[in-house]
Amino acid sequence: MLLEINGLSTYYDNIAALKAVDIRVAKGQIVAIIGANGAGKSTLLKTISGLVRPRAGTIRLRDIDLCGLAPERIVAHGVTQVPEGRQIFAHLSVLDNLHLGAYLYHKRRHRSEIKTKIQTLYRMFPILQRRAQQIAGTLSGGEQQMLAIARALMGRPELLLLDEPSMGLAPLIVRDIFSVLRRLNADGTTILLVEQNARAALTIADYAYVLETGSVTLEGPAGELLDNPRVKASYLGG
Amino acid sequence: MRFRWSWLQTGIGPWPIENALMETTTFTSQLLQYLITGLTIGSIYSMVAIGFNIIYNVTEIINFAQGEFVMLGGLVMVTLHTVAGLNLLIAFPLAVGLVTLIGVLLDRLAIRPIRNPSVLTLIIATIAASILIKGAAMLIWGKNPHDLPAFSGRDPISFFGAVIQPQYLWVFGFLVLIVVILTLFFDKTIAGKAMSACADNPHAASLVGINVNRMILLSFILSAAIGATAGIIITPISLMEFDRGAMLAVKGFAAAILGGLGSFPGAVAGGLILGLIESLGAGLISSGYKDAFALLILLALLFFRPSGLLGNAQVSRIKRF
Repeated sequence: MLLEINGLSTYYDNIAALKAVDIRVAKGQIVAIIGANGAGKSTLLKTISGLVRPRAGTIRLRDIDLCGLAPERIVAHGVTQVPEGRQIFAHLSVLDNLHLGAYLYHKRRHRSEIKTKIQTLYRMFPILQRRAQQIAGTLSGGEQQMLAIARALMGRPELLLLDEPSMGLAPLIVRDIFSVLRRLNADGTTILLVEQNARAALTIADYAYVLETGSVTLEGPAGELLDNPRVKASYLGG
Repeated sequence: MRFRWSWLQTGIGPWPIENALMETTTFTSQLLQYLITGLTIGSIYSMVAIGFNIIYNVTEIINFAQGEFVMLGGLVMVTLHTVAGLNLLIAFPLAVGLVTLIGVLLDRLAIRPIRNPSVLTLIIATIAASILIKGAAMLIWGKNPHDLPAFSGRDPISFFGAVIQPQYLWVFGFLVLIVVILTLFFDKTIAGKAMSACADNPHAASLVGINVNRMILLSFILSAAIGATAGIIITPISLMEFDRGAMLAVKGFAAAILGGLGSFPGAVAGGLILGLIESLGAGLISSGYKDAFALLILLALLFFRPSGLLGNAQVSRIKRF
């Protein structure tokens, strides 16, 4: 198991956002977390990334305990998040955003590896090459999402966390983004995906969890959840 | 001997050669003199404003101890160079280093320990630190102003009837040097880009592996170093005493607001414009109102154009302050 979360509880002051959540992500899988607004999906990713401290529970990456580590330490262990709402560095160029994605490699002075990685990502996202010198804040929503994913991939994560990658994007662009995720997974990146667009998420995922008011209420292979009447009624529009 | 602002305006000061030169001045050369003096003092305001911006961009804090870095730079240099007799080339970096260390302590002891800080709490912490530093400086160096020898002597250079102290050229030179170094740092180095990234979005910065706390520390180091440099190079012109920091902070803050808070080109332009207005105002209207000009500009800007000359109104709205 690559990521193993047991009994994870996270609070904002005295309000529980996650209540004793158990989640497992095997190496090479795409695992989806679906749920309504406010179900605790983003809190889950923030807790894994170290942006929010859990009150109880454990988060283990292989045999490393991630609980209580600073976000930058967690990135160094190979877990990178593409945050909700893209959060690219809007005032910097596209190329600078990519370089910052490889910040830890820069610190180790692996210059040629960084160049190679940028070329690989340009092949995956040709639009980013055309926009390399453009200020990132001027990109369209879809391009910003691609940049956010590319920036995360610059750090060569073993586990990629994605928070609502389809949010605010046109259906055609969502399709592009999800096909990129499928390709990344085929190339060996394990993905933990949080999505309100349950149908898109369940279509590409191997396994999925349903999160409701901070607790896992349902889990199973994604294909099975797609046919589950409760999931259909609540998340797939009947 | 206490420094008098009018020396800068008229060139009539403790330097007898200037006295002789200035007797034959025409109005044009006098005006030129005001411009040169204004640009010199404006360069110092620019440096203080750059220091404000570096910390503001990364943390959104207005560091009101910024002026104290300038005061400490001057006074530490007085101790090392004049009292301890260290060579200028050794004393200068050593003084900058010591003041930088105080910048580190400011971050570690006043900023970082505050739990769940709001920007306002942190700003109040910098005001407290500023009062503390000022008090300590009074105990160490006393209340009298201190002088430093000018770097290349005090033989004035005549320039179209105006008088340029060689030290003025050092001030301009250091402003150019600081701008060049900072431009290279932010444009060419990954640490500089990481600092810009923290300014842009600290959450996202930590998600790519940037240690935001370390970047905050770096911002205090850079600001303290620039402040100390400003203090060291201005002391031979205007002397330095323990309570100069607060007014320098107000002027630097006005310059930063004038240029647009957070904008580096704005800080340089704002500082120089403020210096010119002050110098022309003091020379042509009355030197008694010298400080009032800066405060009037600050108030007018805050009322009518809070985003400053080169600032972006949208950016200033996004910032929490």
